[in-house]
Amino acid sequence: MKRVYSSAIAVGLSLTALAGCGSSGSTSSATNAHGPIKIWYSNNPQEIAWGEQMVAAWNKAHPTEKVSAEQVPTGKSSEEVIGAAITAGTEPCLIFNTSPASVPQFQQQGGLVPLNKFPGAVSYIQSRSGATAEQYKSSDGNYYQLPWKSNPVMIFYNKKIFQKAGINPDNPPLNTYAQFLATAKKVVASGAAKYAIYPAPTSEFYQPWFDFYPLFAAESGGKELMENGKSQFNSPAGQQATDFWRTLYANNLAGKDAYNGDSFADGTAAMAIVGPWAISTYDNKVDWGEVPVPTSQGIPAAQTHTYSDAKNVAMYSSCKNQGTAWDVLKFATSQEQDGQLLNMTGQMPMRTNLQQTYANYFAKNPAYNDFASAASRTIGVPQLSESISIWQDFRNGWEKSVISGQNSTQQFLSQTAAQADKLAAQPQ
Amino acid sequence: MNQVTVPKPPGRARRLAALVGRQPVGMVFSAPYAVFLAVVFAYPLGLAVWISFHRYFFAAPGATVNRPFVGLSNYTEVLSDPAVRQAFGNIVVFLLVNVPLTVLLSLVLATALNAAIPFRRFFRISYYVPYVTASVAVVGVWLFLFNSTGLVDHVLGPLAPKPSWLVNSHLAMPSIAVFVTWKQLGFYILLYLAALQNVPKELYESAAVDGASRWRSFWSVTVPGVRPATTLVVLLSLVTGANLFTEPYLLTGGGGPAGASTSPVLLMYQQGIEQNHPDIASALGVLLIIGVLIIALINRRFLERD
Amino acid sequence: MAHVETRAAARQPQSQTQRSVLRLPRRRPSWRLLVLLAGALVFLFPFYYMVVGSLQTRDNTGLSGVLPNPGNLTLANYQHIDQAIDLGRSLVNSGIFTGGVIFGTIVFGSLAGYALAQLHFRGKGLLFNTMLLVQIVPFQLLTIPLYVLIVRDYGLADSYLGMILPFAINSTAVFVFRQYFLQIPRELFEAARIDGANELQIVVRVALPLIRPALLTAGLLTFIGPWNEFLWPFLVTKQQSMEPLAVSLSNYITTVSAQAANPSGAILAGACVLAAPAVGLFLLFQRHFVSTNLGSGVKG
Repeated sequence: MKRVYSSAIAVGLSLTALAGCGSSGSTSSATNAHGPIKIWYSNNPQEIAWGEQMVAAWNKAHPTEKVSAEQVPTGKSSEEVIGAAITAGTEPCLIFNTSPASVPQFQQQGGLVPLNKFPGAVSYIQSRSGATAEQYKSSDGNYYQLPWKSNPVMIFYNKKIFQKAGINPDNPPLNTYAQFLATAKKVVASGAAKYAIYPAPTSEFYQPWFDFYPLFAAESGGKELMENGKSQFNSPAGQQATDFWRTLYANNLAGKDAYNGDSFADGTAAMAIVGPWAISTYDNKVDWGEVPVPTSQGIPAAQTHTYSDAKNVAMYSSCKNQGTAWDVLKFATSQEQDGQLLNMTGQMPMRTNLQQTYANYFAKNPAYNDFASAASRTIGVPQLSESISIWQDFRNGWEKSVISGQNSTQQFLSQTAAQADKLAAQPQ
Repeated sequence: MNQVTVPKPPGRARRLAALVGRQPVGMVFSAPYAVFLAVVFAYPLGLAVWISFHRYFFAAPGATVNRPFVGLSNYTEVLSDPAVRQAFGNIVVFLLVNVPLTVLLSLVLATALNAAIPFRRFFRISYYVPYVTASVAVVGVWLFLFNSTGLVDHVLGPLAPKPSWLVNSHLAMPSIAVFVTWKQLGFYILLYLAALQNVPKELYESAAVDGASRWRSFWSVTVPGVRPATTLVVLLSLVTGANLFTEPYLLTGGGGPAGASTSPVLLMYQQGIEQNHPDIASALGVLLIIGVLIIALINRRFLERD
Repeated sequence: MAHVETRAAARQPQSQTQRSVLRLPRRRPSWRLLVLLAGALVFLFPFYYMVVGSLQTRDNTGLSGVLPNPGNLTLANYQHIDQAIDLGRSLVNSGIFTGGVIFGTIVFGSLAGYALAQLHFRGKGLLFNTMLLVQIVPFQLLTIPLYVLIVRDYGLADSYLGMILPFAINSTAVFVFRQYFLQIPRELFEAARIDGANELQIVVRVALPLIRPALLTAGLLTFIGPWNEFLWPFLVTKQQSMEPLAVSLSNYITTVSAQAANPSGAILAGACVLAAPAVGLFLLFQRHFVSTNLGSGVKG
């Protein structure tokens, strides 16, 4: 949507900043308060299992500060549930699985507790996540989220299908755009699979994270969609990545229908573009291999950036016992619990030296080494209060231009960039 | 509270009656409903109208936020948004397909049902089943039937549209309109059946005496005879169209392809709930309601005049 | 607006209604049967396909998938759902949610309908117009103000009352009640009043028994809404033990079904589970839910 925010944003931001200051001053008692708290975590079976053991371990050690937990839906609906709960003041203390894209909006709503007010919080966050932490700092300099785990997006491929199509399943040519397209054509032409790849072609604002954004990150050498309030995608790198996808769709190598179920798991598509969380879905169905996302010229895996698909933990402002909440937050992101998370979900805790810290795990699960290594070269989503509107605009234009082929990609990128710049425009 | 209506209440009673009505017990009877409407309808609606004239976003209970009056700027923003115009255009497409189809099919099927026909109950049930079933449930089947690998395209073979129904920018909205027609038709058939039974049979007899063919008597007796029902059917279709949300949300993956099946309510949902711009969403909602009211009045004038 | 139709209906005496139903068949029923059969096929096929699809071990969207293939049949999709969500608990929640709405609608809706049809009181016109306006306002516009009101101000998150409240009295049902009450001759009530009955006695002893079919019609109309409602209970319930079936199944369909052996089969099985109670109830009561009821409510 075209929205000129001009002064309204400034007012909103300064007010939330004020509110932030106000609350950190006036509610310093909440900061130290201890007692029972509520938390929400994600609703997929692996994360439920992790959450349950984490809560059980905490409750065993802290009988007077019991944690009670509920599941929150992932994807499509979690933002609206959390947003509505903030408005009503019924959100829990901590949500494990807060989408970073929503954080600026929740912050604008006055729904988040700046973690900076807890003694030692900044150094805890920065020493745990290293330089990556910087991506999740809010524009007012505070951390409203603790960077928790990432799912570096890569290309998964089905070895059986590739073999059937006459492609070497151990070293498939997928490095450059040209190679990728040739491989994709081979797959479809051979009839080994109906589609080469099948990212969701639907219009949710977050879908670009699983088609355009990882390729843009790789092609641009690690740029975010917006940097310093300016759009970065109306650029040669953005153009290349966009044209690549348009070619896939134009040649019917990627599906244009909304798909029920998992196209990769059931063999409809030969490749998928996802993070390691999906492995548990594929494990007994697909013999898979994985490579980094392609770039126009092909760069080595060790230099390829990608989208992090990070999920973070945030503390919400209606929390009474914030002291306990902060302790639980540290407990749940301790080296031990991060190890459990890695073990039980295969997702990458946002920690420095991941492979060294959990050497045992990576020795036992060599396939995950690539994800751990990729995790150090990931980008997140821009921390702007209008970021969801920007993503939605981007998606709408993408559908029109890239998927349906109704207008040129150049036109799409320049129009969307102009809109995004307007949305992000702030005085000063 | 024992009220007996007296034809002409004298002096004081008449003044009282003017104040509270002849049977104030009606106020007591309708009080729960009136309170209900005030709480869950009038108050939120009033708030929505208020929001539409202010810069507004939803904030946490403790947060202090500034909500300046912005006049009509939310409205101008809505009206200048091409996505909104597209959504309203889509609703026009929806109505152009849905209304004639609904009126025609439900009238024909109701006429066919309005007889002592074998299996009458079976037919009535089968038309009504889609209406009682949740959209979430039936949308699943329609996806299987109409996606590009679905049964319909298998049956059509080379005649299948490319791109397939739900991802074709020209067919997505008509497909939704057909789906909604299918889902709601049972209810409209019921309305027409009721109306048909009240068409005086003498009219058919005199038409037969005049030597009118069956087709002719359908046109000159049945169609005018059920006109009040037609008004209602058109009105309800219009309301359904204006409130369209679940179908584009589920059937075409959120109004795709490229907005070809977005509806105003879907935009309201995206703006108000997903993007936290309830001010824009409310302005859109108010415009939508005004639009429906205007068309409803026109429809009433047009179809009800005798 | 809409009341015109039934008022016209009320003008026609009952005997004529009966005759006009029976009048046509003596000609040639063949074209009718053909039209009706074609219609029934179009209406029922998706449901048939839903059941067949839910029983497939592997999904088959080709022509051969239309007929059940003994080698490709399984109940695994249903087992998968039963493991993923507590079906019994969800059904109970749906039942309480829907039952509460039907109760509110029947009790308060019929009272309001009677008042709107038969009594003269101040504010009647406003109430009637508001009732009509309710039907055209999209619920999404009211969602968040309502959510704040019910969850923040009344603290009704994760409660049945919070789920029920926005739907507690179905305005369409109030409208239906009003239409039926309008058709009862005023003299009946006047007679009761002269006999010394108060208005509540009149409603309970005279009016309601006369519109029994309307109670069923309104009950079924009302049933459909909350039973199939997704967005509202979804927002209000956080505890899984409180979720109605439509919510837990939608969650299942969007997140969990992808991990089933046959995701499309799992989704269709979910759809069947959701559809079955509504269809079953309808079949059970459909005898009472016939067109004549909508047109003319008075017997004798």
